[in-house]
Amino acid sequence: MDFSIKKYMQKKVHTVRETDTVTDVLSLMIHKKTNGVVVVDDENVVVGILSSWDVIKHIVPDYLEDDRHLAAFEAGDVFEKRVHEVAHDPVSKFMTQDVHTAKESDTLISAITMLAEFHIRQLPIVDDSGHLVGYVNRTDMKQAAGDILRISAK
Amino acid sequence: MTYFHLAIGLFIVTYVFIISEKVHRTITAICGAVLMIVLGVINQHQAIEGIDFNTLGLLIGMMVVVGIARQSGFFQSAALYVAQVGKGKPIPIFLLLSITIALFSAILDNVTAVLLMVPVTFVLTNHLKVSPYPFLVGTILFANIGGAATLIGDPPNILIGSAANLSFNDFLVHLAPVSLIIMVVTLGLLYFWFRKEFVANPAAQKKIMAFQPKEAITDWPLLYKSLGVISLIVVGFFTHGITHLEGATIAMGGAALLLLMTAIDPEDHLKEIEWTTIFFFMGLFVLVAALEHVGAIRILAEQLLVLTKGSQTSTVIVTLWGAALLSAVVDNIPFVATMIPLIEDIGTLTNLDLQPLWWALALGADIGGNATLVGASANVVVNGMAEKENVHIGFLRYMKVAIPMTLVALSISTLYLFLRYL
Repeated sequence: MDFSIKKYMQKKVHTVRETDTVTDVLSLMIHKKTNGVVVVDDENVVVGILSSWDVIKHIVPDYLEDDRHLAAFEAGDVFEKRVHEVAHDPVSKFMTQDVHTAKESDTLISAITMLAEFHIRQLPIVDDSGHLVGYVNRTDMKQAAGDILRISAK
Repeated sequence: MTYFHLAIGLFIVTYVFIISEKVHRTITAICGAVLMIVLGVINQHQAIEGIDFNTLGLLIGMMVVVGIARQSGFFQSAALYVAQVGKGKPIPIFLLLSITIALFSAILDNVTAVLLMVPVTFVLTNHLKVSPYPFLVGTILFANIGGAATLIGDPPNILIGSAANLSFNDFLVHLAPVSLIIMVVTLGLLYFWFRKEFVANPAAQKKIMAFQPKEAITDWPLLYKSLGVISLIVVGFFTHGITHLEGATIAMGGAALLLLMTAIDPEDHLKEIEWTTIFFFMGLFVLVAALEHVGAIRILAEQLLVLTKGSQTSTVIVTLWGAALLSAVVDNIPFVATMIPLIEDIGTLTNLDLQPLWWALALGADIGGNATLVGASANVVVNGMAEKENVHIGFLRYMKVAIPMTLVALSISTLYLFLRYL
């Protein structure tokens, strides 16, 4: 059996640019039914990563993040107001810049160790010069583990 | 070049760097301090003697206690309760919230007070559908006014109290009354200034009255423990005259007791200490010690006395207004740290009564910080929090309100010092 990143990675990756907005990202995530997108530059080099988690955190105002027990007292329309306020914020403002990546030739054990160690859900796969070539997430790793135990989807 | 010129040159360069904020002020202060020793202006022994460990201990102790206490949600809950006492109407809420901020910053340091109060302010103004701007301006002004009232309210007061041997009670007796008068007058003026902004909103009123402020309290046992310890610390300060325990001992005692009662591992709680501030103080103490050592501060003191012709009245008034003017543009902590040995020198050069000078310095430094958005750390913090929520206070727009308020407060201080001490 071939248990390599190359076999389990998704070749088609949903990407956005740093200049795209919250609206663009939400629209992509909702249409493609995904919670994770990779941020790339003009040369397809990975510059950041985004999960729906980052978008949610960006909607929460900073003053409530510092003071969680206050959220229960906040006015109900603040959610709507905040969503409108951040709708045109660029990706660069809330993406995770410190991206952990792996190479196609890396082993699955190194990939899952990275997912576990950094509590991340997704791992972009890049070539030697940082260009995006694929993507693995928790579902892909679950599939690989399932294959070892010969668990079929049926 | 003599050590005298070297010390002054190094000090001025450090000061310029601190003001320009090109490099973090703590790094600048440490670099300057180490250079004073390496270049031989003072030796390490003299440098360490220059560090006021009573001030550092008091700051660290209070940071630990307040850091733990704020996790209980008590302060937020109290502010929400105050909004209900104000019947959910903007004007009473504005007035009561301002008084609450002044009270909090008399016990807590100003930055902590505003960090706790600004989020509550946003929540309340979001309900009231009024602009948060008047509330934020009030937060800044009353944090600094309230901080002036007590020994532990504002770092310059801690510095002065420790150096001049002035107790918590001394500050209460001498500074709290004038701070109270300034608060009442400023409150009236601010209300008059912003009165058109406060439009009542019956729907919001109903929602605010339906708050259960107790729900903001996340940890009742912690609340009882921390309020108990804060009370003990205050009692400790009150009884200084009998026990002769110094500020650092009392605050550290409180910190030790609260850690003993709450912490399994003190690591998290000790992270609450703002080490950048502590190291900034250490660096400053060494810089000032060097300046003192070469006799530069003595010369400044002599110059000041020439300017005021050695008269008690003019020395006090010049100290008050000079301190205010400089604190409006420079961080008041380095300024006060430099002024302390200067005033001590005035004491050895003349037989002027020093106490009114200490009060003038404290009032000038604390209140002067109100004049601009960069005058005190609390101002910078409030502005930063507002910017994040797209509320632009604006440097000039702030000064339009703040400068008249500061001038009124300083006039009140002048009158108070004059009537009481001169």
